[in-house]
Amino acid sequence: MNIIEIENLTYSYPASKKPILKNINLQVEKGDFLAVIGNNGCGKSTFCKTLNGLIPHFITGDFEGSVTVDGLNTLESDVGTLACKAGYVYQDFENQIVRPTVLDDASYACLNYAMEDYKERGREALSLCSLEGREDDYIWQLSGGQTHLLALAGAVSLRPDILILDEPIAQLDPSHADRIYNVLRELNEKHGKTIIVIEHHTEYIADYCKHVMLMKDGSIAWKLPTDEALRRVDELQSCNIFPPQVTVAAHRMEQEGRFSKEQTLPTTVEEGKTVFKSLRYHLPFPCKKPAKGKREPVVEFKDVSIAYRSVKGEDRVIFDRLNLEIHRGEKIALIGSNGAGKSTLMKLMVGLLKPGDGDIMLDGESIRRKKTESLSKKISLVYQNPEEMFIKDSIQADIAYAMQVRNIDNYKERTNELLARFNLTELKNRDGRLLSGGQMRRASLAIGIALNPGILLLDEPTANLDIATRKEIMRTLNDMKEVTETVMIATHDMQLVCEWAERIVVLCQGKVVADGTRDEIFGRRDIVETVGIRPPEIFYMGQALNKKALCYTVDEFLERFKEV
Amino acid sequence: MKMKKKLSENILDKFSIDFLRTQVLKNAYGNDDTVIAALDPRILIVWYLFMGLVPWFVNNLWFLMACFILVLVTTKLARVAGLVLLLFVIGVFTQTGYLLVVSLFFGGNASTVVSLLILTLKVATCSLASITVFSGLDPDRLSNGLMWYGCPERLSFSISYAYRVLPMLMGEFQNILLSFRMRGNPPEHETFAGKVKYLFYQVKVIMHAFYPLMLNTAKRSRTTVEALEIKGYRYAAVNKAVKKMKFSTLKVTYNDLLFLAVSFLWISLSVLASTLA
Repeated sequence: MNIIEIENLTYSYPASKKPILKNINLQVEKGDFLAVIGNNGCGKSTFCKTLNGLIPHFITGDFEGSVTVDGLNTLESDVGTLACKAGYVYQDFENQIVRPTVLDDASYACLNYAMEDYKERGREALSLCSLEGREDDYIWQLSGGQTHLLALAGAVSLRPDILILDEPIAQLDPSHADRIYNVLRELNEKHGKTIIVIEHHTEYIADYCKHVMLMKDGSIAWKLPTDEALRRVDELQSCNIFPPQVTVAAHRMEQEGRFSKEQTLPTTVEEGKTVFKSLRYHLPFPCKKPAKGKREPVVEFKDVSIAYRSVKGEDRVIFDRLNLEIHRGEKIALIGSNGAGKSTLMKLMVGLLKPGDGDIMLDGESIRRKKTESLSKKISLVYQNPEEMFIKDSIQADIAYAMQVRNIDNYKERTNELLARFNLTELKNRDGRLLSGGQMRRASLAIGIALNPGILLLDEPTANLDIATRKEIMRTLNDMKEVTETVMIATHDMQLVCEWAERIVVLCQGKVVADGTRDEIFGRRDIVETVGIRPPEIFYMGQALNKKALCYTVDEFLERFKEV
Repeated sequence: MKMKKKLSENILDKFSIDFLRTQVLKNAYGNDDTVIAALDPRILIVWYLFMGLVPWFVNNLWFLMACFILVLVTTKLARVAGLVLLLFVIGVFTQTGYLLVVSLFFGGNASTVVSLLILTLKVATCSLASITVFSGLDPDRLSNGLMWYGCPERLSFSISYAYRVLPMLMGEFQNILLSFRMRGNPPEHETFAGKVKYLFYQVKVIMHAFYPLMLNTAKRSRTTVEALEIKGYRYAAVNKAVKKMKFSTLKVTYNDLLFLAVSFLWISLSVLASTLA
């Protein structure tokens, strides 16, 4: 039985002549777990909003064709009725939460639709989303992943048959991401919900989804079973979607003639185990380790302790006597789960937070007595949320600001140089907030290095980006290696860590639990498991074939695993 | 000199937005387990109307004293956040309190002192009563209470929503201010003139920070508005059944009556005392 039927849907936003959805025809079966993929701006989110009636009832525009959800034509019913059929979780889910306490928010919609049993429905939704026991907590006591689960619970409480999620795991660390998907799987399998996710992480699609739908320029290119869809490596890559690394590896072997065309490409590590069974691991030639001479420390944390005031009860201790040394010229990745203290560490370095105890030395001088403003020539921080870095009304003015107020002679030329370097010259008069995700990131990087700081700190530079943009930012970061001396990146993105970092520092509950090269970190099972970090999929593939194998990229995998 | 130095540093450093944020949260939700918070909001609102209005029309020192002591006790019971109390003290002092002190020291006669004391007591009682009710009750209960008395749904929703977004807004505002700090170049502030300049600079930065804050908020609220529509906010506003369900959570208990009785007894005692005196 089809729960969603769409016929000849064409839609354009008000005041826009070009249709964003073009002639869409689709059937979704009840109980499906469908992933919607496609480039940025191809109409994925718009498409999903037609399913719950926001389009055309709340957002008007030119709407042609028909959308039928569980037997109801969306044109003929109102948003309220449709909300009980299809629940929606936004990408910026924290803005979707309107009530101060957990149970309140989960049951809010039911209360508004005058359902007598709204509290029970809220409770039921919370338990389905594994948030039992948190009913009376306040919103700000939840972690990012829990907040997302709450947004989901708010939608589940109306008991809709369809749940739509817009990039559910873009901001989450791997363990939280797993939790979200496990909840979704349970809702799908045990409770028979139809689930539609907009998702870029193909490894998750391979593990959890049943069908994949590719959108291109506002129309549906195809809808296929997941395996089949992910094997279309060339087509996906041409749309800037990156199939699972295992699939890409097999596909490249196929091109090199090392993999017979009759065999199907694997999409998960499990499948890879049988397909790659015959491959042998060859130890790479031990490359010379750079001589560990005495390197000059640029930042030193000496017994630093800091705690945040909390609303109730004891202060929350973030660091308790933390010690860390950062040397000139290092490229460091700072990893650890949400809330491990990564952002705090960075804010301490630029002097935005003062340590409660202990001291931080920058170039041998304590920064305790220094003003943040005077540190900015030496060290600079780029926020996770680029919007908060835009303080002027155009990105040109934003990039120039720090240089302008310091009366740097050729600040105009340097601004133009930076605009050109980050490919922003054409956008220079636009407000930063109105740019796309990738453009915003590039602008924030340009702002960050405007004063040519010796140390650059980047907080989650690739979060919330689709994979194509992520690759682009990764390229930019690699290009920047020459102009910036010491760089530290806080991130969950293990591909970025593996391809970019020379040293990895692992934070867990305010302590440095591991510090070293990628082999030293990912080679240690205990750390990977306790801290909840996750190496790239290809690393697992290598490990599954040979315990000694440490490969982080598809290239390395192909180089080291040979037929003989 | 030291004081001045502190003042100029304070705006952005010590008195951080982060501090403000926790104080606001503490004020709204940090005391939901107190005696006052457990009371029925409707009862408290009636009580507040009495405490907030009646003292203005009475000039009896005994009566005012009694009211003041009563609200002092309730404020204590409500465990009000420190910042609010500080603001209260500053507020009362700058309104009338300083006159009282001045007249005490510069030979004001008894009658001026008494009349000033009466005025101060009125202001203080009224403000403390407001503090008790508005920060002792959590915003949700308060807005339900107001709605029961016929305040429009929008007002009561705004109150509780404001408390929901305020922490978020303050976090954002703080980050924008930090952006200014990281990239700005404040004037030197070693000399006195420099300090004055620095103070102006800080005020200017705070003003400039509002523009990005507004734009960022506008961007966020797009999702919120859609989410409210999905969650049926508009339907609830016109549906009587929803109102009824909301009110069913309000209940007058034994404690509420006890609270009213004790207040009443105390005030009557004071009236009695004043007639006897």
